[in-house]
Formats: sequence, C-alpha cells, structure tokens
Amino acid sequence: MGRLNRDAVIAIILLMACGILFWSTFSIRAPDYGQLKPSTWPRVILGLLTLLSVLYLGQSLRQGPAQKDEYDTYDAGKASASGLKGWLAHWRNPIWCYVLFFFYLITLPYLGSLIGGLAFVFTLMGVLGGWSPRRLAVHATVAIATVGGMWAIFTFGLGVILPPGEIFTVF
Amino acid sequence: MIIENIYAAFAEIGNVTTIILMLVGVAGGLIAGAIPGFTIAMAIVLTLPFTFGMPPTQGLAIMVSVLVGGLSGGLMAGILTGIPGTPSSVATTFDGFPMARAGKPGLALGIGVWSSFCGGIISAILLVTLSPQLARIGLEFNPWDFFMLVMFALTVTASLAGRNLIKGLIAGVVGLLIRTVGEDEAVGMARFDFGSDALLQGFDFIAVLIGLFAFSQLLRDVHDPVSAQKSLTERGAVNVRIEHMAAIREIAKRWAIVLRSSLIGVFTGILPGAGGSIANILAYDQAKKASKYPEKFGTGTPDGIIAPESSNNAVEGGALITLMALGIPGDVTAAVMLGALLIHDIIPSPTFIAEEPVLAYSIFIAFFVATFMMVGLQSFMLRVFVLVTKIRIYVLASVILGFCGIGVFAINNVEFDLWTLLWFGILGFVMRHFGFPLAPMILGVVLGNIAELNLSRALAITTDLTPFFTRPWALFFLIIALFSAIFPLFQEMRATRKWTLFYMPFAYFAVSVPLFMMGGVVRPILAGIVIAVGAFSLWRRHRDGWKLAPLSDHELAERG
Repeated sequence: MGRLNRDAVIAIILLMACGILFWSTFSIRAPDYGQLKPSTWPRVILGLLTLLSVLYLGQSLRQGPAQKDEYDTYDAGKASASGLKGWLAHWRNPIWCYVLFFFYLITLPYLGSLIGGLAFVFTLMGVLGGWSPRRLAVHATVAIATVGGMWAIFTFGLGVILPPGEIFTVF
Repeated sequence: MIIENIYAAFAEIGNVTTIILMLVGVAGGLIAGAIPGFTIAMAIVLTLPFTFGMPPTQGLAIMVSVLVGGLSGGLMAGILTGIPGTPSSVATTFDGFPMARAGKPGLALGIGVWSSFCGGIISAILLVTLSPQLARIGLEFNPWDFFMLVMFALTVTASLAGRNLIKGLIAGVVGLLIRTVGEDEAVGMARFDFGSDALLQGFDFIAVLIGLFAFSQLLRDVHDPVSAQKSLTERGAVNVRIEHMAAIREIAKRWAIVLRSSLIGVFTGILPGAGGSIANILAYDQAKKASKYPEKFGTGTPDGIIAPESSNNAVEGGALITLMALGIPGDVTAAVMLGALLIHDIIPSPTFIAEEPVLAYSIFIAFFVATFMMVGLQSFMLRVFVLVTKIRIYVLASVILGFCGIGVFAINNVEFDLWTLLWFGILGFVMRHFGFPLAPMILGVVLGNIAELNLSRALAITTDLTPFFTRPWALFFLIIALFSAIFPLFQEMRATRKWTLFYMPFAYFAVSVPLFMMGGVVRPILAGIVIAVGAFSLWRRHRDGWKLAPLSDHELAERG
C-alpha cells in the first residue's frame, strides 16, 4: 500500500475513532457544580482532532506518489517474499517482542516476575539472536544475572513486592 | 537568601549515601547516553522506580545525575564510533570522529568532556540565577495565561515536526486525549472508562512514557535482524586515554565558542519543544559561520567538537529553568523529569522555589555537582563503555525490555500498568513508523491535566472567554504559538515566496503588542526595541529591493 493510501486510511481511522469517542462523551455524567463539565474538555480535544484529521485526509489525498520511509527501505533489497509472509518476515523481530511480552503478561499471575521475567528475556534473546548451544549458555547467564539481579534489588533492597506467581513464592 | 539556600541544599545532598548514589547515577547516565538507541529519557525513566523509597532530595539528585551523565555520554560513541549516542550529540560526530580517525581520539574525547563540563557549569549558574527570576514572572500568570502557555508549548513542539506539522499537532492532541481517560481531576467523574475499573484509574503517566518512548525505541533498534546482531565495536577504535591537559588548553583558546554555544544551549532549552537535538546543530552552525576557517569544519577541528558539546550540556539547564520556574517541561527529557518530581509529590510551579527553597536548590546543586562528577568519571566509564560496546544490540534490548517490565510494575504495584506499557509500546512504534513525532504526544500527556485544570479555573472565575485573547501574557503566548505554527511553512518557502519577507518583521510587531500591554517600565521599553528591530529588518528588505534570500549551504544540503 502506498503512502498516499496509507495516510488516507490513518486519517479515516482517526476520524472514526473521533466519532466513537465523541459519542461516548455523552455517557459522561455531569455534576451540578463546576463551570467546566467533565465532557467539555474531551469534546474540545476531539473537535480539534477531527479538524486536524480532516486536514490530514485532505493533505494525504492531495499528495503525490508514495515516499518510502526508513522501515520500508532498510532491507528492500533482501525482501523476496510478498504478501502476508513478506510482511511477517519484515516485521519479524518487533512482532516477536510484542508476542513474547504479551505472553509474559498473560503468564505473570502464574509464573511471577522472576520466572516470567527470566523466561521472557531468555526466549527473546534466543528469538532475536539464535539458538546455538554457545548462545543458549550466554543468554541463560545474561538472563539470570540481569533479571535475577534486578528482581533481587527490588525485592530485598527496595522492599518492592513484585508479583510472586503461583509456582515460586518468596513471601 | 540565595546563599543560605545553597548552603542548606549542600547540606541536604552532601551525605555519603547521596554522593555515592549520584556517582552511580552519573556513571549509569554516561553509559546509557553512550549507547546509540538508548536515550537519556529512557535512562531516567528506568532509574525512576529505584528512587521511590528514597527521600525526595536523594531521589531527585540521582535523577539529575543520570540526566547530566546521559548528556555527556553521547560524545563517547559519537567520537569513537561515529554513531551519535544520543540525538543531542549528532554534530559532535562531524568533527569528533574525523579527529579520532586522524589519530587523536584522546584529544577529541578530552575536548568533548571539558566542553560538556563548561556548558554544564554555565547552565548550572544560569539555572540558579534565572529560575527564581522566571518564577517571579510566572507569579503574574493567571489560569488563562497558563492555559495558553501549554497550548504554546504543544504548538512549538509540533511545529518542530517541520513539514509534518499536521502530524505533530495530531500527536499532541492525541496526547491530550490520552490524559482525559479515567476520573477527571476537577470533579472526579469517570471518562472513557468503558466500564473498566482499570481504565477508571487512568493510564499511569510513567508507564505511558516508557511505552511510547523506550519500548517503541527498543523495538526500532532490533527491527533490522542484521543490525540487531551487531555490536558497536565493529565500527571505529575504542581503546584510548583521554588527554585532559591538551584538551583544556584547546578549549581555553576558544572560550568565546564555549560561551556562545552554552548560551545557545541554555536559551534553546528554555524554549518549550526545542531540546539538545536542535541546540547542538544550531551551535555547530553558528560556530562555523563565525569561524575564520569554516572550510576546516567537518575535517576534525576542535571548534566543531566544542560548539555542540557545550550547547547540548547547557540545554538541560535551560529546560530545568522553565520546568522549575513554571512547571512546564521543555522537552521529552524534562517531561520525564517532571514525572519524577510528581512521583516524589513535588509539583513545580511559580511558587515552588519560594515555598520549597531547599528542595529546589538541592536540584540546582545536584546539577552542579553531577557536572563535576561527570568529568571525574569519564575516564573510568570509557573503559566500561569499551566493554558495553562488545555487547550485541539484541542482548541489550532484551535485557532492557525485561527491566521495563519489572520497573513499570514497581511504580504502583499495579499489573494494568504493564498492559499500558505494552499497548503504548505498540502505539509508539506504529506512530514512529507512520511518521508521527512522539515528542508532542508525550508533552500532550504530561501537560493535558495542567491545561484542563487551568481551563476549569479560568471558567470558574468568569465564563467570558475574551481573557484568553486580551490578557497580555495569554496574548503573548497565543501570538508566538501562531507564528511558530507558521514557521515550518516560512522555512520551506523562504527562498521562493514574497510573503516570507514580511514574516519576521510582522512577528516582531505582533509580539510588541502584549509587551506594551504588560505595563511598567522595562517591558514597554523592550516592546519599543522589538518594534525597532522589526522596522529595521523591514527597511533592510526594502533597501535590498524585496529580494528573496538564497538558501545557505547547510539548508541546501538538508533539502537534498
């Protein structure tokens, strides 16, 4: 998708979001006191955002051919696959980071901050850096030293109770 | 009075624990600033959770130390590897790297370190002397003025997006919108909570900052699988000793550049939106224009290291002046500092320095002391930097993401903050990808409630909206906001459109109106001077036959 279409799509999404949020401002309760109703400021912002989105839409429709940005060009020569496969290959690393962080959060109540954090950092390093036996050893050492160290500082040094999880409970 | 406060502040931060923690903070900042892709703001937000349990003075002294260390750390990577550690040390690489490649890395580093020191000290002096004065001016501000000041800060920051002004403004407005989620601060009514208890509490401001800024930046660093596998040592030489004495001699010969660049840094910092990334280029450009040998710039001349390094260290002193005196952060780093202050229950405002003089002066003194520590630690940290440069980017990114996970939870002990981190990490990454600047959005998040509270206060006084346009300070901020919004257009069309000839003179004339309205003696005189400058520039354009100015080499190169 070229930049022209992409910018226009973003502007339309913004306009839709403005519509939905504006509609939801009607469910904000207004107390009997105060000159500025709780819904007024969000409405002012949404009005401004709508205006800017319309300008953005107009600008994007007026713009010429798409310009490639830094992300599109960094491995343009290397990208061979197209479609969803190519897109996934292009965004492989960020997607992995988000997916693994998502799983870290989902499993946090069970694994806790220490085991979950170790697992997250170790797996992420493996995904980004490779799974050779030597790297596995380095990644495991780094994960234990850094996450374990950080966890120990917070738990014992600063007295912050991090999520203990169900598997491993300190307190 | 100032001297008493300075003594009290020294006593407050002069204990062994605080000094040791400050040393650790400066050292951490130096390393964080030296690693390309890991910004100063990131270093400060990651330090924040460690300071919760500390007394405010101690916690803030550490944050200031990280800030000062981070400002100076960028030069190590910039000079030794040619990759600027932070955006504020981009111009340092123009001459620092060639000098290092020419066999003088120790001298280049020494000049960088001592220029940073001079810039830091000059800005610390101005911070101590100017902040109380600016705060006194801030006492004149009413809610209308504060509201317009926030609008001005957002507009200026958005206008720095240049050709993407609309995207910058959208980012700023989205930031304001994010801040409206949860209970409103004026009357406590739920907004945009969609029935969720977590959303009712609103998004934690620090989690949003880390997500938008740090999380998305880290993912950007590892986006390219090939670059993610690399370490910094694959480029440039890093095994050197800093030549302190030779560097001091070089700087002493060029004291005028140090002074000018530091002042550029301080005043760029005072302006909302303009941070070190602009100051270092501006100072470099000015040094080149003022030099008798401009052709030497870019080949490894000391002037080309002194100018950016003095200015980028002076910037945060300037940004702290506005932050401490008015409670308005000038850039992302200052916004994070504001977050740090708020977490320690300190709300910067024009009355803050008068009401909490010891705390305020402790921050000033910490800035001062940290600058000395920075010089002392540079040689040692250079060795640590050499070790850090051997670590692959993906390892650093993974570990810091893990730290983010633990640090963000520790802020409020609320799991929802981690989800906030994830969603805003995605939002920040997507916004960067689509060319939306993040700085206006972050300022929007920070300033959103200040704007709303002042709007609410203004309307509580009177429902009449005309004071927003008729009060001198409100009008002043409105005028400079409007002119700064048009500025990118002015820059773009400067060499092609006639109207641009009238832009600056009219800006001068317009600004003089609120200055006249302020009354007194000094300000009307200042207004008269501003009008005279505007009239002179108009006369000069008339004398030159309304000819459009050609673009400079620098501008031509920028436009490609």
